[in-house]
Formats: sequence, C-alpha cells, structure tokens
Amino acid sequence: MATSFSFSISMQARVSATTTRFCLQKPASIFHNGKTNLSFSQRHPIPARLAISCAVKQETVEKVSEIVKKQLSLAEDQKVTARTKFTELGADSLDTVEIVMGLEEEFGITMAEERAKEIATVQHAAELIEELIQQKTA
Amino acid sequence: MRISVMSQMQRSFSIDLPSLIPLQLPSRRHTHLWYVIPDEVKSTSLLKRYSQLLSQTEKDGVDQMRGDELKKNALLARTLVRTTVARYQTNKEVDPRSLMFKKNVYGKPEVDWQNCKNCNHQPLHFNISHTDSLIACGVTVHVPVGIDVEDKERKIKHDVLAFAKRFYSADEVNFLATIPDPEAQRKEFIKLWTLKEAYVKALGKGFSAAPFNTFTIQSIPGTEEGYSLCKTSEVTADPLEETKKCNGEWKFAPLELADSHYAAVCIEDDQANEGAPMRVIVRKTIPFVEDQLISERIFL
Repeated sequence: MATSFSFSISMQARVSATTTRFCLQKPASIFHNGKTNLSFSQRHPIPARLAISCAVKQETVEKVSEIVKKQLSLAEDQKVTARTKFTELGADSLDTVEIVMGLEEEFGITMAEERAKEIATVQHAAELIEELIQQKTA
Repeated sequence: MRISVMSQMQRSFSIDLPSLIPLQLPSRRHTHLWYVIPDEVKSTSLLKRYSQLLSQTEKDGVDQMRGDELKKNALLARTLVRTTVARYQTNKEVDPRSLMFKKNVYGKPEVDWQNCKNCNHQPLHFNISHTDSLIACGVTVHVPVGIDVEDKERKIKHDVLAFAKRFYSADEVNFLATIPDPEAQRKEFIKLWTLKEAYVKALGKGFSAAPFNTFTIQSIPGTEEGYSLCKTSEVTADPLEETKKCNGEWKFAPLELADSHYAAVCIEDDQANEGAPMRVIVRKTIPFVEDQLISERIFL
C-alpha cells in the first residue's frame, strides 16, 4: 500500500505528482486479544468525500518532514518518509504539539488540538494540512 | 504440583532468568511509581533476556524504532510494564511473558486478564511514560492512574507563552505570564504539562475528551504541592463570566525523579477515599536485578 510515497525525501523528484489514495485519518491497527489485526479497511469505511478529495502533494510531505526533523533535532540524513511514524523517531506528545505549532506557522492554518494530537505519521499531517488549507480557501 | 509448574516455567525460559521478587499490591490510597534509568542498564546479555519477555507485536514495535537508543528504551518500557505487573500477581509466580495487554475503546493500554494463563484477575491499573533518559510506570488498585514524565532541561522550541496561549487554559496562561524569569517560566510550563498530561491519561478517554484549554490545573492556595482541577465552561461570549467547576474528583502528585525529571501522577478519587491523602511510593528498578526505595510522599 502507498507505494507512491515510499521513496525518501532525498530523491530529487520534482514532478509535482499528486496521487489519489485512500486516506486514513485514524490509526489503523485494531487490537484484538493482544494481536494486531491488520485488515483495517473493512472496519472503518472511508467517507466518499475523503476518498475523492484526498490527494497529498509531495511538496507538503517534504515541508512536514523538514519541520519534524527540525523539532526532533534529527540528523539531515535521517530518512523521513510519508509513512514515518512520529513515535518511531522518538517523538512524545509534547513533540507532537510542537510539530503542530510549526506546521500551523508554516502553512497558516489552525488545527484543533484533538486532531493534532492524533497525528501519527507525516502522511496524516500532510492530509490534515491540505484539508485545512482547502477549507480556508473554499 | 507447584514445583512441577515452576520447573515447567523454568524450562520455557531459554536463558535462565532469576525469579522476579513478588510485590504486594498498593492499597487503595497508594500509587506505586517505578522507574528505570536506561543509562544504568548496560549489560547486553540482560537486554537480550528482556527481549525474550516481549510478545511478537512488542518486538516488532521495538524494531520499528529508529536508532539503537530508541530501540533500547522501547524494550525497557515494555520490560518494565511486564515485569512490574507480573510481580504483583498474588500466590503464584506468573511468567511476565504470559501477560496479555489490550487497549480500551479509546486506546488506553490495559492488562487483558481474561486471556492470561495462570493470572489472577486483579483490580490493578497501570500507566507508563518515558523520555530519552527515564522510563516510569505507575500502579494503582481500583482507580485509574495517569503519569507523565519530562526532562527538566527540555527546551521548548517555541516561545513558552505563545505555546501556552495556543494550548493551555486562560488561567494557566495568566499564571505563567506572572513569572518574570524565562527559565523559571519554562520550568513551570513543563510541570504544568506533566500535570495536564497525567490527567488526560488517567481519564483514559483519548485527547478529544479533554482538550488542554478546557481545564485548568492550579495550585491549591496554602499548600506547596497541592493541585486541583477546574473545568472551564465551554462557550462563553464574555470571558469574564467564564464559570469554573472545580471538583476534588482528581488528585495530583507533582514529583521530581532522579534530580533530572519532573513527573506527575493523577488518580481518580475513589468515593471510599474521599478526603484521604494520596500517597506515592517511588522506587527505582532494574528488572531482575535490583529495586531501590527512593521516597514515600503524601499529597493532600
């Protein structure tokens, strides 16, 4: 899944490709008896509105990654992709909130705290940002 | 019969592990707070033993962490939870590996007693928190618990007041604004963060149940370490008429750990406990190796 976003940021792919894919606004794994059930798509049907409008620009993903790297003081060569989870990079809730503040400043948006704290990956952040930008310009 | 069960468990350990020293459950008014300092756990063979305690899902989680230090800390966090909960099992030596965990409907981790072989169902609650340099686990009985730890020296990358204005309640912003020294202000900001996080985690209903700007945690006048929770009412046109509902349903204990961290413990006040002080027993540990009693504190 999401093979279009598996290349790392260091690639100079300047084609501003937008790819439509299903967006998952919520963390996908469902715990059952301690085991992770990975078949998430059946449990949470994606609203049609999200499925159609959910395209994320590579540029957004890159900007988010930059802000994440800066907040967490990561090395320049630390690989951060759309699918990277903040927790994998060692971010805690305070880091996540600071990242959100950085994103709000960068993109001129305001995120509701509840949604902000649930951002788990670079991809989630980019989706939320683009949704908010669209709402602003609508 | 007991002997054969024990030797069967010992056979199932591929490396011989010393037994875990059992613990008495905390009483209703007590919180037990355990912490590990990752820098003090250096033995690679010990870390290898720890990794054998984890479930496959937990091992995968550890592997996903980027970098050796983060992997080690993730391993220690799961080890601390498993060994600590296992030690409170009464009358039997429960293999920490047989513990099962699940999440409540909001995502808060809990012990899954039903699916654990040999476990006694206990009214035990736990919550963990960690930073780069300290991992903590709080344990209570009968009441939910939330804990949060933060490095005292943690630098906030944004302006502290701007951050508070964005996320904290108006009263908390006013409190922070009265602190003239930026260093002192940063410290109070972090202490407040740990108290607020501890509450949200104790509540266990996810972030949306208690956005930070909908409640104020403030000092109880006349006490040095007493804190109370006040909910700010939501939609008011006139901020001066903002009504606050302060209740004593939640108790807070602000602490410092290892001279390096601020910590906060929050528990729901049990009806049976009404008015009784909150007691926190802090112990430092290296699982299977040693425990050290650090302090026993009372919070009114």
